[in-house]
Amino acid sequence: MDLSIPLMNSLTLGSLYTLMALGLTMSFSVTKIANFAHAELVTVGGYVTALLVNWMGFGLGESLIAAFIASALLAVAMDEGVFKPMIKRGSKPLFLLVASIGIGLVVRYLLFVYADLNAVITVQAKTSVELIGRFGRAGITTIHLWVFPITIASVVLLHLMFHYTKPGKALRAMADNEDLARVSGVKIYTLRRLMWFIAGGITGVAGGLWAAYSVITPEIGWYALLRIFAASILGGLVSFWGTIAGGLIVGFAENFGITFMNTYFNVSTAYRPLISFVIIVIVLLIKPTGFAGFDIVEWVKEKIKGGGE
Amino acid sequence: MQIEFLFSYMPIFTSFIVLFAIYLIAALSLNMEYGYGGIPNFGHVFFISVGAYMAGVLTARTVDYLAGIKAGYCSGQASVLRTEYLSSHPLEAVAIFVASLILGAIVGGLFGYASSYPALRLKEDFLAITLIFIGDMGRIIARNEEGIVCALTGLTGIANPLSFIKDVGTRSIAYALIVVAFAVLTYVYVQRLAKSPFGRLLKAVRDDDLAAMALGKVVPRVRGEIMIIGSALAAIAGVLRTFYIQGVVADDFQPLITFLVLTMVILGGMANNKGVILGTLIMTALDQFISPSFFSLLGISVEFDVTYMKYIIIGLIIILVLMFRPQGAIPEGPVETPALELSRSSEWDVEEGLEIESEGGSES
Repeated sequence: MDLSIPLMNSLTLGSLYTLMALGLTMSFSVTKIANFAHAELVTVGGYVTALLVNWMGFGLGESLIAAFIASALLAVAMDEGVFKPMIKRGSKPLFLLVASIGIGLVVRYLLFVYADLNAVITVQAKTSVELIGRFGRAGITTIHLWVFPITIASVVLLHLMFHYTKPGKALRAMADNEDLARVSGVKIYTLRRLMWFIAGGITGVAGGLWAAYSVITPEIGWYALLRIFAASILGGLVSFWGTIAGGLIVGFAENFGITFMNTYFNVSTAYRPLISFVIIVIVLLIKPTGFAGFDIVEWVKEKIKGGGE
Repeated sequence: MQIEFLFSYMPIFTSFIVLFAIYLIAALSLNMEYGYGGIPNFGHVFFISVGAYMAGVLTARTVDYLAGIKAGYCSGQASVLRTEYLSSHPLEAVAIFVASLILGAIVGGLFGYASSYPALRLKEDFLAITLIFIGDMGRIIARNEEGIVCALTGLTGIANPLSFIKDVGTRSIAYALIVVAFAVLTYVYVQRLAKSPFGRLLKAVRDDDLAAMALGKVVPRVRGEIMIIGSALAAIAGVLRTFYIQGVVADDFQPLITFLVLTMVILGGMANNKGVILGTLIMTALDQFISPSFFSLLGISVEFDVTYMKYIIIGLIIILVLMFRPQGAIPEGPVETPALELSRSSEWDVEEGLEIESEGGSES
C-alpha cells in the first residue's frame, strides 16, 4: 500500500481543519457559544476567494486577504447582531447554540440563492496549479506552498499574540473568567469584537484555501463542521495547542483510516465522516476536556520519576 | 362551480393535513424531550428516520417473502409487484402496517435508550453537538448501504395500507383520517403525561437536576425514560410518513428536518403542547406553500430554487423568536396540579399563591 497520497492529503486537510478549528476554539473559549454558524465562515471565505479569482482575475494572495476580511466582518456581525443582544438579555447557552444554527441557515441559503442565480453552485478558484515536486506518488503543488506556510504562520502569530501582547493576554484572561477580567479593567466588548474578527478571519482564509484546493459548494462549511468540531473537541474546545494537535489528528485519522478500511475491509470511502464522528463521541465520553491542560513535558517528567501514586 | 373548485384543491388540502399531523407527532415528541425534559435532542431526524427505514424494510422484506418476489430488493419490478400484492391483499397490508408501527416504535425506543447513555453524561451543549451529528451519521450510513433503503435510489413500492381502496381521493382522505387519529392520540398522551407526576418530575429534572436528585429522584432513569418515549413517538411519525409517500429515501432525512421541527417547538412555546400545535401549523404551512409546485400553481416564477427561501425564513424565525420571545407564542403555563384545577372550578383562591410558586420554578 502506497502511503504517500494519504499522507499528503492528511497534512493538507489537517492544516485546513486546524485553521478552521482554531477559529472555533477561540470563539468558544471566550464566549462559550458552540457556534454552528462557524461553518458559514468557511463557506463565505471560500466563495469570496473563488469568485474574486475567477471573475476579477485577482491573485490568490489578494483574494485570501479579501476572504479574511469578509469572514471576519461576518463573524463580528453575527456577534453584534445576535449573540451579544441575546447574552445581554440573559439567554441560556443552549439558546445561543440554537440561534447560531438559525444564523447558519440564513447565511447558507442566502449563499445558495446567490450561487444559484449566478450558476456557481459548484466552483473552484482557478489558480495556476503547478507541480513543483513529488513525494512518493503524491504531487506537491503550488497550493501546498500556500496551505502549509499560511497555517504555520497563523499558528505562530496567534501564539505570539496570546502570549506577548496585551489584548492577547486579556483575551486569555477573559476565556478564563470573564467577570474577573472585567473588574480588572479589561474592555471586554472591544476585545470580543477583536476576537471574532480574528477567529472569523482565519476561518475564512482556510475556506479560501479550500476553494483553491478543491471544488466547493454552499454546503462545504457544513461538511467541514463535523471535522472542525472533532478537532476542536480534541482540544477540549479551549486549548490552543490541543486544537492544532486535534486538527492534524482528524486529518490523519480520516485519510489513513479510510484508506486502511477501504483497502483491507472494503469499506466505502463515503463513510469517511464517521471517523470524525467516532472521535467526537469517544473524546466526549472518555475525556471531555480533550488535550486541554495536557502538558507533555510534565507528563514525560512524571513517567521518568516513575509514578508518584 | 364552487364545489368543483374546492374538489380540485382537495389533494393539496389532504396532503397538508397528513403532513401537519406527521409533523405534529414529531414536534410533540421533541417538545417532550427538549421542552419538558430539557434534553436537547437535536438528532430528532435520526429517530424519525429509524421508524421510516423500519417500515420500509419490514414491508419490503415481508412482501417479497409472502409473494415470492424474486426480482432484486431494489429493482423497479419488485416495487411494482409489491404494490400489486399489497393492493390485492388488504388483510396482509393492514397487518404489515400495524406491525411496522409497533416494531418502529420499539426500535426507535431502543435507539432512544442507547442515546440516553451520552445524554446522562454530557453537558447540555456538548450533547446537542453530538446529537446533531448523530442525525447526519444515520443518513450517511443509510445512503451508502444497499440492504437498508437501497442507498441513493431509495426503497419504493411500500404501498399505502389502504391501497385496496381503488378510488385515490377516498383513499387519501381515509389515510389522512388515520394519521390525524394518531396525532390526536399522541396529543392526548403527551398532554396527560405532562400533567401527570412524571411530567412534573421531568420539569424538576430540567430546571435543577441536583435538587431533584437530592429529593431522591433517580435522574438518569427519568432522562432515559423520556428519551425512549420521545424517540418511539418520533419513529411512529417516520412510519406514517413512509406509508404516506409510499417509499423511503435516505436523503429526505437531512438535519434540516430536525431544525424545522425544532422551530415548530420554539415558535409555539417550549413545554406547551398547545403552543406546539400552533407552531406546527405555521411551519407546516411554510413548508408546504414555499415550494416550487405551489409557486408554479400561483404562476410565480423565480430564478432560483424556491426551497432555499424556506430555509432562510426558518433561520430568521429561529433567530427572531430566540432574541425577542424565547418563551414562544404561548408561554409555558404553571405546573398543572389537581389543586390548580380545583381552584379554577371552585371558589378557593389559591391561584395567587400558586402563581408565585410556579414563576419561581420556571424562571430558573
